[in-house]
Amino acid sequence: MFAKMFKDGLTRRRLLGSGVAMAGSAAAAAVLPRTAFAADKVVKIGFLAPLTGPVAAWGKPGLDGCLIWGDWINAAGGINIGGEAHAVEFVAYDNEYDPTKARTGATKLIREDGVKFIMMLGGDTWPGAQPVADRTGMLFSTLLPSDLSPDTTTLIAPCEVHPIYNVTGVEWLADNMPELKTAVMCAQDDALGLPSVATYLAAFEAAGIEMQDDPLLFDPATTDFAPVVTRLISGNPDIVCLDTCYADYVHPICEQLFQQGYGGQVISCTADFYQQIVAKTSEEFMEGFVFQFPDFDDPALNDENINFRMPNEFYAEYASRYGADQWGAVSWEYASIMDLWKAGAERAGSAEPDAVLAAMKEGGTGLHAFGEADWWGKDLFGIDNALVGNWPIVVIEGGKATIKEFRSIPEWYAKHGELLKKHMAAYGQMWDQRS
Amino acid sequence: MVELLAQTGLNALYAASYTALVAVGLVLIFGVMGVINFAHGELFMLGAYAIVAVYADWNLPYLVAVAVGMTFVGIVGLGMERAFFRPLRDNPLGGLVASIGFLMILQALVSMGFGVRMEHVPPVTQDVIVISEKVRLPVFRLAVILAAVVLLASLWAFLKRTRFGWALRASAQDPEAAALQGISINQTARIAMFIGAALAGVAGALTAPLISVNPHMGHSVIVTAFIVIIVGGIGSLEGAVIVAVAYAFVHTFVTTFFDGVIADIVGLLLLLVVLIVKPTGLFGSTDRA
Repeated sequence: MFAKMFKDGLTRRRLLGSGVAMAGSAAAAAVLPRTAFAADKVVKIGFLAPLTGPVAAWGKPGLDGCLIWGDWINAAGGINIGGEAHAVEFVAYDNEYDPTKARTGATKLIREDGVKFIMMLGGDTWPGAQPVADRTGMLFSTLLPSDLSPDTTTLIAPCEVHPIYNVTGVEWLADNMPELKTAVMCAQDDALGLPSVATYLAAFEAAGIEMQDDPLLFDPATTDFAPVVTRLISGNPDIVCLDTCYADYVHPICEQLFQQGYGGQVISCTADFYQQIVAKTSEEFMEGFVFQFPDFDDPALNDENINFRMPNEFYAEYASRYGADQWGAVSWEYASIMDLWKAGAERAGSAEPDAVLAAMKEGGTGLHAFGEADWWGKDLFGIDNALVGNWPIVVIEGGKATIKEFRSIPEWYAKHGELLKKHMAAYGQMWDQRS
Repeated sequence: MVELLAQTGLNALYAASYTALVAVGLVLIFGVMGVINFAHGELFMLGAYAIVAVYADWNLPYLVAVAVGMTFVGIVGLGMERAFFRPLRDNPLGGLVASIGFLMILQALVSMGFGVRMEHVPPVTQDVIVISEKVRLPVFRLAVILAAVVLLASLWAFLKRTRFGWALRASAQDPEAAALQGISINQTARIAMFIGAALAGVAGALTAPLISVNPHMGHSVIVTAFIVIIVGGIGSLEGAVIVAVAYAFVHTFVTTFFDGVIADIVGLLLLLVVLIVKPTGLFGSTDRA
């Protein structure tokens, strides 16, 4: 770290960041229980996500976060399984968001590396890995509960209930800016984009916000977003919704909205590397931009209901290692899944997939990063394998992401669940419609 | 509606400009060397990364970065000609396979050098020409359009008015007859490869501040370029320019008035219809088909 620091130039910000990160590491070692573990006691965890390609922004930052998590856990004595301390080691496989490579990677991680748990982004890659999960009984996690179905008994979505949490952003917008009456939406035409489209449509309908037009779908290979934006803003909508567009799309779309003179409200599932969007547009343009993923230096995360350990210190360490502008939506998510897996393994006294899964789901509740949550989803996914509770609404203020509020996803669903099911069915996204 | 049509027309002009640069470079390489260069999209990507390195990282002026990118990618093209295409001159399939392998090498090298994440390129200018409330032309997009026109006009003048240009055209029409006239096939191949690669590089460099720069960005560009050169007629420079403009207009208008997925389908349908009705392409000759 220090070699890199001096090579890149020692700046005040870098020095301060490193100081905070070192303090965080020391604090982590002090807070977490310390036990000695034999060098040969290692539990391996598979990381099967896109590390390259256009979807890498939802894989690589997560692996980076896991490496911090692993260093902290190992420094504090490892994971106590059956009375013995185990070091944790992550084995990564780049599936390039390709189902075939996901299948190869899952097989390799299980057979050659002997991992006990595999974390995935999911989406288009889950169908590739599912036969391996069925055959081996390996416990997998996904960030996308739309992968869940009654057949996916060893697949859990313990962190992110994408895209259902997007309803909280729309609900917050409607409550706080009732003057916004019309919306338009664009999305890439894929397994991430379409369920999110259905969710936003339900959320807008529930909030009484009228869609000016059908959602505008674009090919994931699109590079020039000027025509998309021209169409989107042609009817002067109050809200432009960017659905769950990848960072590679959110940035040029925002730049085009700025250049084509749009002055209304923008809402998006993510705004990864948003500092770069601010640089490409302006602080004024980005003011009030609503999305769903906080920076973990946010003071709101120090609330006693938050279960992610030392979020501010984690963010500082991440910023120190990789740069604050590399923080993204998934930087903390896979690490948060590891918190749940660690608790499950320690409770089960075993790292075996079935034992950990049973321990994780014991009592039907779990400690989600943003508070206590329920294992939920039978209604929507055909299986209660998604851990659902509160989710933050994040707004860019003065060029910085700020948590405005946490809202309950189950509470929204209790009121508007039928709407969500209606739109999911219209887009063929219910579990019994997916092939 | 008039404003929507006008804004869409401006969007289409921009799309046509960089598409034409990439497609013309691809056609030039095929015309002279008979090689389908699958790594052409990665040459576009290299041009964009030159901007990342020289303009974004080293903070040198943007125009210097464009010049560096254009020259650097041209030199990479020379290297490809010498290392792959010349030894495989009598084996067109071998050249194609070599270019596929090289595109993977370029992607891997860039991933190793810059990482796999999208690169941030600061805007060169945020000025916008406001024609009306709903019709706006960002100055930088206008600059890309003008640069493409100047570059393509310069290429046309080079091919029509200079001895090197005549040699290139002669080699493209009949390599053996050109060689009998004392034209060096190696030299014309080098010139064609340098210019073709440099055009892809400059297209990447010009558009880098407006698109997502990542190691895999060449893929979508090469697909469009192949559609353009097949419809235009493989080997026809005029066909590449005309079809690039037409394709950009059709794709942009369909995206705006329907959606982007339908626009892609329409583009592929055009390709299919042309292949059925006129397999040599709209402006192609039977010699190269």
